[in-house]
Amino acid sequence: MQPALRYDLLLVGASTSNLTLAHRLLDLAKASGQKLSIALLEKSPQFGAHIVSGAISDPHVIAKLFPDYLTNGFPIEAEVTNSHLSILGAKEKWDLPHGIVPIGLRKEGQCILTLSQVIRWMAERLQAKALEIPNVQLDVFLGFAAHSILFEGDRVVGVKASATGDDNEDNLYAEYTCFGDKGFLSRDLLDRFELRANPQLWSVGVKEVWQTDVDYQGVIWHTLGYPILDGTFSGGFVYGLANKRICVGLVISLDSKDPNLNPQQRLQHFKAHPWLQELLKNGKLVKYGAATIPEGGYYSLPTKFAVEGAMLLGDAIGVLDAASLSGVDKSMETGYVAAGLLHDAFAKQNFVGLAGAYQKAVMEGFVGQALHTSKDFRRAFLENDRLLGEYLPAVCRSADKGHPWLGSLSFGLSKPFQRVTESIHALSLILGKSGGGLPPASYTSCRENIVPDFAPAPVAVMAPAKPETIYSRSDAVFYAAPRYHEGNKHIEEFDPKVCQNCITTYERLGKTTPCIADCTAEVHRIDIGAGVRTHGMSLENCIQCRTCEIVCPQTNLRVNPTYEGSGPDFFGL
Amino acid sequence: MNIFVLIKQVPDQGSKAGVNADGTIDRAKAKRMLNPFDRFALEAALSTKRRYGGIVTAITMGPPPAVEILYEAIAHGVDGAILLSDRRLAASDTLATAYALSQTVRWAGAFDLVFCGLQTTDGDTAQVGPQLAERLKVPQITYCESFEIIEGHIQASRVIEGGTQTVKSPLPAVVTVANSAERLAYKTLRGAQRVQQLQRDEEARKQVIRTVTLDDIEAVPDRCGLKGSPTIVAATEKVGEIGGSCIIYQGRSIEGLVQDALVAIPRELVQA
Repeated sequence: MQPALRYDLLLVGASTSNLTLAHRLLDLAKASGQKLSIALLEKSPQFGAHIVSGAISDPHVIAKLFPDYLTNGFPIEAEVTNSHLSILGAKEKWDLPHGIVPIGLRKEGQCILTLSQVIRWMAERLQAKALEIPNVQLDVFLGFAAHSILFEGDRVVGVKASATGDDNEDNLYAEYTCFGDKGFLSRDLLDRFELRANPQLWSVGVKEVWQTDVDYQGVIWHTLGYPILDGTFSGGFVYGLANKRICVGLVISLDSKDPNLNPQQRLQHFKAHPWLQELLKNGKLVKYGAATIPEGGYYSLPTKFAVEGAMLLGDAIGVLDAASLSGVDKSMETGYVAAGLLHDAFAKQNFVGLAGAYQKAVMEGFVGQALHTSKDFRRAFLENDRLLGEYLPAVCRSADKGHPWLGSLSFGLSKPFQRVTESIHALSLILGKSGGGLPPASYTSCRENIVPDFAPAPVAVMAPAKPETIYSRSDAVFYAAPRYHEGNKHIEEFDPKVCQNCITTYERLGKTTPCIADCTAEVHRIDIGAGVRTHGMSLENCIQCRTCEIVCPQTNLRVNPTYEGSGPDFFGL
Repeated sequence: MNIFVLIKQVPDQGSKAGVNADGTIDRAKAKRMLNPFDRFALEAALSTKRRYGGIVTAITMGPPPAVEILYEAIAHGVDGAILLSDRRLAASDTLATAYALSQTVRWAGAFDLVFCGLQTTDGDTAQVGPQLAERLKVPQITYCESFEIIEGHIQASRVIEGGTQTVKSPLPAVVTVANSAERLAYKTLRGAQRVQQLQRDEEARKQVIRTVTLDDIEAVPDRCGLKGSPTIVAATEKVGEIGGSCIIYQGRSIEGLVQDALVAIPRELVQA
């Protein structure tokens, strides 16, 4: 029998956090001469093929990691030259005056990134860098997903990463393991050690990249309002990329009351807006993708960021700041901070105290500060559903009539005293100026927020969109290019009866189940056989956003990582 | 058992390959991949090793980038590899190819089994395997779907029209593997690890992946490449692009969907 596959450090996922960690660690090991063997696992067959993000990012951590990032080939689509926050009515778009845009959303000077390109660049750079450091051995396992976590008692000792059936060939062991994933495995760690004080609040983001006629490089819009005016926390974005491309996306919170969010179709409604129709004129769809986003922020942070033998980074912790829509820099920072601590721990061969030091460093650095400042951002909307359910629609309606300010005014004047008090309170939460007087927020999980018979207010019908700009969900899937190996079964359905009951419940209400409606890729369906309606899945369409698991009212679904390099190809998103 | 598996790098079917002025494929422009038929041969070789023990050597003939598929074979678990690479091999047809490969196999040493894919996706002749067997003067089993080794013999099930045929042959033998045989198991962690070790360590790489030329294998240059190839590509014609559009009907009852589809299909087609 050959010796077990063993490394000093195991990185699960070629994510921004893990790749930052690896780059920083290599730099430190190069200087110190510390001997290190590192394994990097990535489930997609090509780096960056399973990552989707906006993404606008403050490049401060990139600059720390690559001081020459402006000239060394680091892929940047553009520097933001014009940053808008806009209110969308059914017909009009109103760009808020710059002075009243929250500072976190003034993105001028920041970078527009295509994160899949960043990942590929960083991974390739990392491999080249490792070859030049004789005391470091880096092995990359592309197309290998971590299937499950290996424990010795309560200590993480590695992961199972293949399925030949022979443990000696399937298990990767490591002194220390870093999870930079978005929950496929890290959720198991959080559950096992009961590290969740509050459930995570997830959003789903759907995004398309278009080739356009006109060059919009450097111009960005974040939008509120149309097409989602039912009180659901959501927003749209349009970023002008390099080479006459734009990305158009919509982020919808899954803690909505609405059981039928239809994210991909809502994105089509968004694109039907006259303003976007103009942007997309003569355009061509290049790529489609979707991903879930951990938006709970401060109150959804795990109670511990590390356990014996392993730590969590980036999205595995949930360091995205929803108030400023920024996660990439924070995710990178967790990796940067972890690298320094891990380097010292390996040098001393002593990992005691690493967990505490890591958490302290993250929370006392800019990540912790940003999350703390905006800790009540989501709470403002949860506490007061009129903000999104009534106030925003009122502003949108008056934007359509050409006098957006009147919307706020009339809404405020209807119950002046209550409105003013409410607004001041909400604004203080949103802007992070509420002081320390409030008790910690308590979230309910996304699935518990669903109200089966929720009746959303109808959204005004748009002028008909050009058909060539609109894609059905089944057509959109082609632009995410999923490919699966024979015999793939990555979504588990625990009890078919539970699904049947769920189908019946929603059918009586004239709706379909959340898994079917909220799927971003035409996976879930109802099969009719012998008069019984059962839940079926077209797994070959799945683009692995994990929305179905999050919204399943009965916790009856689980999305596992796929094996053999299967899944979507998000490169270019 | 000493097992050889012959594999080839072909243009990726997913990418658009160019055509040279003389009608041959412009391989430099195309993305490259392991010939899909060879995946079944690779699995047959590796499963022979798993079941009966032995050493598997992958052999390919091609320009230097063909080493990529040898790495791929190593990731799947082959023990060693041979790359026959020589400019004088350019434009070889099946006659020249089978000759050069037979010389390579002879150079590589005694064998029990040589596995080949059924055919390649670029040439599609299915001639090299059988020609190779003739040149090596050993029995051949083509279209092999499954097999067992019993007392120094191979007993194989071949795909034939309307069914299967069971044949038995003494070893050594050449076997071409049908694409209905066992599919290639995914690459292994240890294989992926070994590939990276080899890429880092030139000395180790030379031991595991041997690169040979016509001189090494004592092949007559005149019998290789364009000179040794009686086949002439007279012309290549483009027969049109696959295209068209697809409409997916959904969101209604089956009856409704059929109604929709019937309305959309041109009348003359419905009547036909």
